Amino acid sequence: MNFRLARVWIAAAMLFARVEAADAHIIAARLGDFYTGALHPLTDLQDLILWAAMGVLAGSLGAAKGRWLVLVFPLGLLAGLVLGRVFGVVSAGPAADAGMILVLGLLLAAAARVPATLLCAIAFGLALMRGAANAGDLGPETDRLLFAAGLACAGYAAITLTMALTLTFRRLDGGPAVAWRGIAIRAVGGWIAAIGLMMMGFALAT
Amino acid sequence: MTGNGRTMSSRVVSSRAVPGLLVAMAALVLAQPAFAHEQVAVGGGLVRGLLHPLTGMDHLIAMVAVGIWGAQLGAPAIWVLPITFPMVMAVGGVLGVLRIPLPVPEVVIALSALVLGAAVAMRLRLPFAAAAVVVAVFAVFHGHAHGAELPGSANPLAYGVGFVVATGLLHLCGIMIGTLTRWPAGERLIQGLGVVIAALGCYFLAQSLGAAA
Repeated sequence: MNFRLARVWIAAAMLFARVEAADAHIIAARLGDFYTGALHPLTDLQDLILWAAMGVLAGSLGAAKGRWLVLVFPLGLLAGLVLGRVFGVVSAGPAADAGMILVLGLLLAAAARVPATLLCAIAFGLALMRGAANAGDLGPETDRLLFAAGLACAGYAAITLTMALTLTFRRLDGGPAVAWRGIAIRAVGGWIAAIGLMMMGFALAT
Repeated sequence: MTGNGRTMSSRVVSSRAVPGLLVAMAALVLAQPAFAHEQVAVGGGLVRGLLHPLTGMDHLIAMVAVGIWGAQLGAPAIWVLPITFPMVMAVGGVLGVLRIPLPVPEVVIALSALVLGAAVAMRLRLPFAAAAVVVAVFAVFHGHAHGAELPGSANPLAYGVGFVVATGLLHLCGIMIGTLTRWPAGERLIQGLGVVIAALGCYFLAQSLGAAA
């Protein structure tokens, strides 16, 4: 390592050591609402499980069917957000969320050959539900446009990355290694369905 | 020549590293906590769910034994098991959540370790349907025990995720141990492990019968 690079590393280390929370300008500039919209669903376990399950299901069905979700899912989130704000439809309730987790898990576990149209309808319905649920936490001071842009970007990134990871994991052109990978994805579906079933029971019990 | 090459490459590295470092620094400095959902005790619920099957020795050995037995039985048990077991267990979990009692749950859970350990030790090759029924019955009882804890958890969803993942990983652990059956020495080792699991099952059975009496 040469001297110049070493100096850069030392300077970087010193800066990192002195880093503090910036109670600063990005919030005051209201751009923080974009990050709030983007991070909001990522801090909710229901969103995380449902989005991941949707992405894995789409990825397991192949790129030809899954690629529609890159557009459909963020649009569904935006539509849900609008519904939530305009009509006050905030959440479909824990039983609906649990039911959706169960359905997605069962479809994965059964390796069901879901048609592209049905897949898009499920993704849009899910995004609608979760978009509306996220609208419930919009404050009066929140910039709705930035929040919506952040939410849509997060939805786009999450669904695209999960699908891409699943497609790569399946390695469709990989020959004999494919079998156990497909079983692993189905096993994850079994886990997701089990979580959905448990939560359904819990929602009915409370 | 070599010296020049090294200098050039160092310059290239440093000139590439600086923007990367600046981006990393900017990302770190601009990082903000998400003032979003204040989900209650997600971490605690997750940890509690993960630890519940791991800290109960009777659950732990039975789940590992299920995986080993599945590997001994081979296809289709080895792949049907990890897909369906969590779902069947969740049925028991729902019964537990709804407070629907099952007869002598502690005895059946202890019995599951004894039976599954014995099956592994004896390399019992039941027809797939019969093996599935045996495992399903035990799965319902194990799920019931986990499910009964769920409503008391600070975050039921996180707890559910934790215990399903922990159970799945225990199966995976058992299946990986079960792959030792490819070697004769490994097969004997696994049978020995089955004896140990069955013996522990006997101990838990005696304990639960004592408690029941």
